[in-house]
Amino acid sequence: MKACAKWIRDGIGFDALLIAMALTYLLAFAGLPLLYNIIISFQVVDMFSLNQLFHEFAGWDNYIEVFHDPAAAEVLWNTTLFTIVSVFFQFTLGFALALFFNQKFPGATWFRGLFLAGWVMPGLVVGVLWNWLLSGDFGVINWTLETLGIIGEPIFWRSDVDYSLISVILANIWYGVPFNMILLSVGLAGIPEDLYEAAALDGATALQKFTTITLPMMRSTIGAVIALGIIFTLQQFDLFAAITSGGPAGSSLVAQYWSWELSFRQFEFGRGAVIAVLMIVVVLGVTVFYVRSTRQETRL
Amino acid sequence: MNIDDSTIQIGFTDVNKFYGAYHALNSINLSIPKGQFVALVGPSGCGKSTLLRTLAGLEEISSGTINVGGRTVNDIPPRKRDLAMVFQSYALYPHMNVRENLTYALRLKGVSKEIRANKADEVAAIIGLEDLLDRKPRELSGGQRQRVAMGRAIVREPQAFLFDEPLSNLDASLRVRMRKEIRALHERIGSTSVYVTHDQVEAMTMADHVVVMRAGKIEQQGVPLDLYKNPANCFVAGFIGSPAMNFIPGVIDESGESVTLDFEESPSLPIAQSMQPGRPVVVGLRPEHVELGDAQSCGYAAISISSVEETGSTTYLFSSATPELVIVADGSQQVRSGDVIGVKIAPTNVHLFDPETEVSLSNG
Ligand SMILES: Nc1ncnc2c1ncn2[C@@H]1O[C@H](COP(=O)(O)OP(=O)(O)O)[C@@H](O)[C@H]1O
Ligand SMILES: [Mg+2]
Repeated sequence: MKACAKWIRDGIGFDALLIAMALTYLLAFAGLPLLYNIIISFQVVDMFSLNQLFHEFAGWDNYIEVFHDPAAAEVLWNTTLFTIVSVFFQFTLGFALALFFNQKFPGATWFRGLFLAGWVMPGLVVGVLWNWLLSGDFGVINWTLETLGIIGEPIFWRSDVDYSLISVILANIWYGVPFNMILLSVGLAGIPEDLYEAAALDGATALQKFTTITLPMMRSTIGAVIALGIIFTLQQFDLFAAITSGGPAGSSLVAQYWSWELSFRQFEFGRGAVIAVLMIVVVLGVTVFYVRSTRQETRL
Repeated sequence: MNIDDSTIQIGFTDVNKFYGAYHALNSINLSIPKGQFVALVGPSGCGKSTLLRTLAGLEEISSGTINVGGRTVNDIPPRKRDLAMVFQSYALYPHMNVRENLTYALRLKGVSKEIRANKADEVAAIIGLEDLLDRKPRELSGGQRQRVAMGRAIVREPQAFLFDEPLSNLDASLRVRMRKEIRALHERIGSTSVYVTHDQVEAMTMADHVVVMRAGKIEQQGVPLDLYKNPANCFVAGFIGSPAMNFIPGVIDESGESVTLDFEESPSLPIAQSMQPGRPVVVGLRPEHVELGDAQSCGYAAISISSVEETGSTTYLFSSATPELVIVADGSQQVRSGDVIGVKIAPTNVHLFDPETEVSLSNG
């Protein structure tokens, strides 16, 4: 007993203990559910067999059913569009704001901090806010567009099949910009000022400084931000729940929402799990990209 | 200075710089002829870097004009001033290898890849980096990084080289070597160089012309030995030379031809000029100008020694008088603490300053 205490106090025991705690947590709350999800995707699970630990084996049936579902193509298209457009604008707007606040003007840090307010709000609250903004009858967005003469009559953003996905994308871009901005700001702050001074003396214009110093120095940060952006966007559920519920007529249905709908609305747990498994594969791919981009540090 | 205007490469005229209310540069006037090596020297925070950065265009000036190559550059951005700078931090581009670092400026100018590669090889040969061209800065030692920073400046063939304490991150022996190399490079290229340092030895050994600054002002400028021999005031006198000059209060004697030091022993030193009897002065004596002899012999003043530091080649003696007198003697001197020795100083080596203004009274 004494030896054990000593091992923890002075030896590598303390490190081992910390690692063991982290690993236990990961296995119990991430590893097991993940594994169970994969297993379920190969089983027949419905309302009646839900309370059993082991279910009837289904082979690839759930997978085949999902791919043959009439909604599959649109969900795939919506998910891709949602992710790419959201991440693209979150990143570019976030980067533009980060560059803007990186200029030294009075109140820059304070003002940048304000942007975080949007990010700390729960997704459901953001969704409700955007419902008001997007409202067809009294929404600020319609009012603005009409006043500017861009549209003649109100757009019913959330209930028009042509606009429902755009509605959620707009809200999601707004929601994700502060996070992108902060991470990119940190990256920008890490670039020593004297590099820009040296470049200026070497004859670089502002644009050349950006392309030859800022961008290459930000490579790992940009990789990480985009990877995290994709992962967070694939996780985005609240905004769909609050704004369109995937509708109307599946026009804003994305994979993550469909998975939930199959599992908890239609009680097709096997098929819901299939989508989760497919998304895990995508996220794993993105994670590999993320890890690799954080690994290659270009700093001195 | 008596220089034909056409040879002036860099000129500062009444340059002032304020940071808010803080007067960082105070009426700077400075002319640097083509091909000269000028050192800006002064204690930390005196505005040396600020002066260099205003020249580079990295800081704006509040008033005055700066000329480079006959052109007023006040409103010209750094990239168009055609000046190269070696930073204290080296400021190498971490994501580029040595070759790319060296030729970055050429790449911006649109010089072709082959010419850039040739130029990199050429410069690498000059600064001894041939084998390191493919390395990234993080894979280089401090000395090698320093060379890359120099090479990057050389490639540009600029109007002038600006150095901001380029050697201060190197160890002592490398610093001494690089001192010589930078000077040799300067001569080889025939460039104009402005070199900022807080180390007066560096300034004195490297420069043709030394500019001593304090609190944003130029205190004195001139050739190194002239600053040493004829310092304009107590500050320059104390800053140039190591160990620093001794300052002792004194009074001019009745004769007006000698000065009595305010020591217990009240020694009297002959001076090289005639002054008003009874005038209070500050006497400046360089430690290395004090000649030792027998306390009883004629012309020597007696001083008791309180401590002795021997380094082998030189021996430092410290008097027991207040203010303390530091004497540098050669290592063969057999002096112990407690001894009373005779000291003599050649009249031309006795510097006199006004106690109020600290300005030199010697008409050297
Ligand atoms: N950007 C700045 N804002 C305010 N004060 C500054 C700034 N840069 C330098 N200073 C002040 O100007 C003085 C001179 O600085 P500097 O030129 O860097 O001194 P040094 O002679 O050590 O190179 C210092 O007192 C410093 O605090
Ligand atoms: Mg400095």
